[in-house]
Amino acid sequence: MKKIIALALATLMVLGMFAGCGASGADGLKTVTPGKLTVAISPDFAPMEFVDPTKDGQDMYVGFDVTLAKTVAEKLGLELVIMPMSFDACQTAVYAGTVDMSISGYSWTEERAENYNISNYYHAGDNEDEQILITLASNGDKFATVEGLAGAKIGAQNASLQQSLTEEQLADNELVLFTDLGTAVLQLKNGDFDCIAVADGNGEAIIAANPEIAKSGFSFVVDEKYTGNVILLQKGADDLTAKVNEILAETESQWDAWYEEAKAISGIDQSYDDAGNAITG
Amino acid sequence: MDFSLFIPNMIKIWGKYWQLFLLTGLKNTLLLTCISVALGTLLGTVIAMLKMSKFKPIRFLVTLYIEVLRGTPILLQLYVFYFVLPNVFTFLKLSQFMWVSIALCVNSSAYVSEVIRSGIQAVDKGQMEAARSLGMSEKQAMMKIILPQAVRNILPALGNEFIMMLKETSLASTFFLGDLMTSYSIVKGASYLTLEPMTIIAIIYLCLTYPLSKIVERFEKKMASPNSYKKHNRKRKLMSGGKI
Repeated sequence: MKKIIALALATLMVLGMFAGCGASGADGLKTVTPGKLTVAISPDFAPMEFVDPTKDGQDMYVGFDVTLAKTVAEKLGLELVIMPMSFDACQTAVYAGTVDMSISGYSWTEERAENYNISNYYHAGDNEDEQILITLASNGDKFATVEGLAGAKIGAQNASLQQSLTEEQLADNELVLFTDLGTAVLQLKNGDFDCIAVADGNGEAIIAANPEIAKSGFSFVVDEKYTGNVILLQKGADDLTAKVNEILAETESQWDAWYEEAKAISGIDQSYDDAGNAITG
Repeated sequence: MDFSLFIPNMIKIWGKYWQLFLLTGLKNTLLLTCISVALGTLLGTVIAMLKMSKFKPIRFLVTLYIEVLRGTPILLQLYVFYFVLPNVFTFLKLSQFMWVSIALCVNSSAYVSEVIRSGIQAVDKGQMEAARSLGMSEKQAMMKIILPQAVRNILPALGNEFIMMLKETSLASTFFLGDLMTSYSIVKGASYLTLEPMTIIAIIYLCLTYPLSKIVERFEKKMASPNSYKKHNRKRKLMSGGKI
């Protein structure tokens, strides 16, 4: 008798895995939750995606990628549900099928292309395309050239474009990986490494909040396929990917405005006081 | 490292984000802790009872449950509960907050069950024998004699579990569930300042845990058994003129 119950339970569990996989959206598109577009973002990356503390609920997520997600959902006739989680978890969420897509400032990499469906590129303003090194302002332009960088420790975010770029173009330097940009800024100030490889837009946000940090003057040579960001979708979700690409093409003219708007909310275009310190808040 | 801007930055951040820390962060941290400890204690009691069952397969399964939960990192368990289980149990329409609460509660249940089991087994065997010889059934002896004495061992340890859980809810910030650690991530992501919000939440956590641990300490003293080793020893010391 117990065996039969155990068997029945096991069958139920296996069946459960297959149930609910065939939900259809408004356009006949399959989404994880019917009628809704679930998007994973990692809202700790101003100005691409971050939180506006004056709002609450779903409205508090703002930034370029959030505007893009809203537009995609609207054009697909679906209700947008943002699921915030850490950057690592965002990719897992798409892979595990918890969300339909993740829009979180991804760059194209070969590994990602193997495991996910990837949208066409979108550009969040010109300065998101440039990849640079930031360092302590006191270093001046010591680290502006490859020669000057000899022996310097470079920090880059794990599994990021900056990691690949550093491995390719600064192969002789010691590379230190980190998971979180905010903590890396602290490590830079502590002298754990000499420079951090970042996208120009993030670099500006960091410098605005930390006056003792400056651009080192070094820029990576960025292959065209790396310029711009992509959206990660589930492998095999070809219909949705095609729709997203259509929407990206339609909205191209609005991207600059979205980016300026996001920067304004994040306070990167902020005023400076007499001593040259950024006035935040 | 330059600390001249530390205090001004902290004040600025507090002014701008205090609601995020106190209203959202503190509320969710306490909510998560209360849910996971309350349900964890209930579940843990059941698990402890099963662990002392006389039926071997049940004992084996329960031991497996406890060992898996105590032997794997809680962050890993959170990933499983957040990503895998919702795909398996698709008929359960639970919010993400609930899934993480369940994960924390299940994790807590493993620890609580061991606390309860050891609390019960620490009661002298003679108590059960005495109760049985007075004609009580096993159930009666357990409810009327053993459990009241075991509570004395269990309650202070449960208080400590609450404090542990309070800190472990910070892992929920992986999924931005709005706890204190999430508030920190959000502020850090928006302002690119790290030490300042970190200090703020450290102070809030301490304001919670310090009074709690003081309460648990008092509780421990109050609950100490009349014939505990310490008191027993003191009596012996007095009788032997300070030498044992």
